Amino acid sequence: MESLSSLAGGFAVALTPNNLMWCLVGTTLGTAIGVLPGLGPALTIALLLPITFKVDPTAAFILFAGIYYGAMYGGSTTSILLNTPGESATIVTAMEGNRMARSGRAGAALATSAIGSFVAGTVGTMGITFLAPVVVEFALKFGPAEYFSLMVLAFVTVSAVLGASAVRGLAALFLGFYLGMIGIDGQTGQPRFTFGILELLDGVNVIVVAVGLFAVGETLYVASRRYAGKDEIIPLRGSLYMTREEWSRSWKPWLRGTALGFPIGAMPAGGAEIPTFLSYWVEKRFSRKPEEFGTVGAIEGVAGPEAANNASAAGVLVPMLTLGLPTSATAAIMLSAFQSYGINPGPLLFQTQPALVWGLIASLYIANVVLLVLNLPLIGLWVRILKIPAPLLYAGILVFATIGTYGISQSPVDLILLYVLGGIGFVMRRYDFPTAPVIIGMILGPLAETEFRRAMSINNGDWTVFFTQPLSAALLAIAVLALLGPRLWDLATRRQHRGPEHVPGDA
Amino acid sequence: MIDRRQFLAAGAAASVLGFAGAGHAQSVDQLQLFVPAAPGGGWDQTARAIELVMRGEKLIGTAQITNVPGAGGAVGLPQFVGQWRNRPNAMMVAGMVMVGALIANKSPVKLAQTTPIARLTGEFLAVVVPAQSPFKTAKDMVDAMKADASKVPVAGGSAGGSDHILLGMIGKAAGVTPSKLNYIPYAGGGQALAALLGNQVAAGISGYGEFAEQVKAGKLRLLAISADKRQEGIDAPTLKESGVDVELFNWRGVFAPPGASEEQKKTLVSLVEKMAASSAWQEELKKRDWTGILLTGDAYAKFVAEENARIEAILKDLGLAA
Amino acid sequence: MDRMRIALPEAFIGLGTLAFAGLVLWQTEQIPVSPLYAKVGPRVLPYITTGGIALLGALLLWRGLRGGWQPEEEKEVAPDWRAVAVLTVALVANVTLIGPLGFSLASTILFVLVAYAFGDRHVVRNAGIGLVLALLAYFGFARTLGVNIGAGFLENLLGG
Repeated sequence: MESLSSLAGGFAVALTPNNLMWCLVGTTLGTAIGVLPGLGPALTIALLLPITFKVDPTAAFILFAGIYYGAMYGGSTTSILLNTPGESATIVTAMEGNRMARSGRAGAALATSAIGSFVAGTVGTMGITFLAPVVVEFALKFGPAEYFSLMVLAFVTVSAVLGASAVRGLAALFLGFYLGMIGIDGQTGQPRFTFGILELLDGVNVIVVAVGLFAVGETLYVASRRYAGKDEIIPLRGSLYMTREEWSRSWKPWLRGTALGFPIGAMPAGGAEIPTFLSYWVEKRFSRKPEEFGTVGAIEGVAGPEAANNASAAGVLVPMLTLGLPTSATAAIMLSAFQSYGINPGPLLFQTQPALVWGLIASLYIANVVLLVLNLPLIGLWVRILKIPAPLLYAGILVFATIGTYGISQSPVDLILLYVLGGIGFVMRRYDFPTAPVIIGMILGPLAETEFRRAMSINNGDWTVFFTQPLSAALLAIAVLALLGPRLWDLATRRQHRGPEHVPGDA
Repeated sequence: MIDRRQFLAAGAAASVLGFAGAGHAQSVDQLQLFVPAAPGGGWDQTARAIELVMRGEKLIGTAQITNVPGAGGAVGLPQFVGQWRNRPNAMMVAGMVMVGALIANKSPVKLAQTTPIARLTGEFLAVVVPAQSPFKTAKDMVDAMKADASKVPVAGGSAGGSDHILLGMIGKAAGVTPSKLNYIPYAGGGQALAALLGNQVAAGISGYGEFAEQVKAGKLRLLAISADKRQEGIDAPTLKESGVDVELFNWRGVFAPPGASEEQKKTLVSLVEKMAASSAWQEELKKRDWTGILLTGDAYAKFVAEENARIEAILKDLGLAA
Repeated sequence: MDRMRIALPEAFIGLGTLAFAGLVLWQTEQIPVSPLYAKVGPRVLPYITTGGIALLGALLLWRGLRGGWQPEEEKEVAPDWRAVAVLTVALVANVTLIGPLGFSLASTILFVLVAYAFGDRHVVRNAGIGLVLALLAYFGFARTLGVNIGAGFLENLLGG
């Protein structure tokens, strides 16, 4: 195959000691910034752009790719250990991962997320190598109508996180809608819910909300119960890494997560969050131990979303490399780095810059290996964080949350928001409201709104477009099935009394 | 207390990673650049290009770039006007987009409060259609818009931004009711581009550079550009040549803080003029598809005032300004 | 179980949610609707949200009036309001001080107060830990990425 020989050439480029060094620097730096809430790969690469004046393009892109993949790995670590997601794509990881950590399986959660990231990253990179043209053609078929239907499907996933009461879960979801709408309305340029505060015009950062509700809220909650006789000591149970059972529960979620993450990541408006929601929902449905979800923490709920998140990172690179389409902030910054070398990324990039492109792709494979090698031994070190006495641990978490929030924008507005949301998170926790629907509502609500309105404008108010476009109709049908299917299934099988056999995964 | 809003630029990052360019001792002291946008965008790139060229040409010692992002510059400007007053050798990088953002967001602080130094670059916009489109010329498109503008969805950047403004001007020139213009704003250039490549919209407007490669590859057809005259190497007429009397540059320039002294103004103008005359600057312009449209001092101040009036009128037509 | 007894906190949450719906409605009315071409305007989702919040608020209130929903184990625990108060002070102090004092000093104070709220009274030791942590973060940012998280005199003194 032609791609194979090109790839071999790419490895020859990427494996020079110099470029390997860049890969190592990039992955390390990426892991570090992924850990910090608020500081993402896009901003880091933007700040490192001046490097492009000093090193050759291949080295720079290998560095950037390392940062990008590294950040996806790093973001999960703090989600699992401290319930403080470093990236919006790892918010879902925090849900089960932190529960696992609390029940003594932090090592396994970290391991499944690292290995899952490796598997997904590698499969995703293979997707870039062999499937890029096909995937991108499929991705471009997605117009506003299809995106809206995809969001509708994604809303089904709320059902997996509603908790004990639909009323409280939905209240959380609507709070998320509200938070997501704050800022300038993208379609008409009008300010919504900004109370005249200029800083709010650009909207509320979902990371601030997640860290506020999860980490700050948790801190307040734990403090309020501190003397209730239930001092929290987190035990470490069993082996540091994964047990045989945990392996067998992880590998399918890794593959399913990858299958969701890669194509959705490749879609121009797909993003990394939606596949993690979908993956979480799928894993909860297919798990043999659904009772572990939301209680002691289910490993599938970490393995799937983590894989989805890393596969989507690979997916994002597909339109960037094949068409020169920057579909995420990180990709946009990387494109501007291309430009500062006088390289114009576009549909002809593979032809005009083969050494660079294939060197970059090869370095993605290497970055994945480097990250796995880097992360697995660190797990032993990371889990010790949980042994820090609670007062210092929580003090550290709050300082840490402040760094990410204040560090980037230096705006007290964000900090106030963070703390107010912490207060809301505390009340929600105490009165048994789930917090995850807030995040889902905040991300999906405005996205669905935008795509719906776009579709209506483009099609001149003809709402049948959602049903007449085959792809859109298919997605809506899947959504209906996903919502009603399990109930019908239950009805059908109730007579037989025996539960259904394990249903094999999608895709 | 502005020092803390600083992103120390290039130097710090580079030095840690072990390839510091030796810091040349310079005659001219530190230049401070204020960018009212996030790192990576057009203004930020302009600031970084200024830093690069000025340092390379040894016009300055070091430069410090401070980013205060938000609301098209409406968050940063009050800070620049309030806290950067009396700072010597300080300049803000901004441009047409800020003029629009200030009007649309009803900012109490005006660009006129600063001291305009120089207009540096302009990026003309391009009107493109998908390769399959029935529109062969800009006239075809405008005719379709005259017939029923709502049937011609046009993709571009954020509502009220330069792309939207250009559509408003085209509509006005063609006599189309502004409220009929079917503009579909996208957050990033990439998404608008994807909508065009996926043939989901009738046309697209954005900076020429964003479309250039797709046009070369034959995936998009370039109908017209918004420049004042034909451009070398670009096979498309201007809008004026196509019978639409519209000309628009997404210009970027530099501004000194309010109340800068005449002497300070002179220093900065001459600094910028020297930079613009250098071959290194010309090289940067070429690499980034920017057009050099230098205009300095009072002439620039007059230009900014005119742009302000012109854009305000368009935004009013579009319903984005009261 | 006396299901009919009013659970005050839950009833207040229901009322608060209703009040919030009112706020959202009021703010939705303030959203300017421009004459821009749009088949669906900027107020549609806000109205849907208002309706949803109002309905859910009413349901919550109703549940609150009928005994509430707080889990039994939560009810049994009297919250340690003192700790929560100290934490609140810590957060407010951080927001007010981070500007004038700079990131490191404000964070040190935050660190000490949070640890205090959790019952750790080693103020001096914790101040040391907090300061080292904050300075590490600060200089890590400043040196590697050139991001200045907010310098005060301390950072400038140490050569930020």
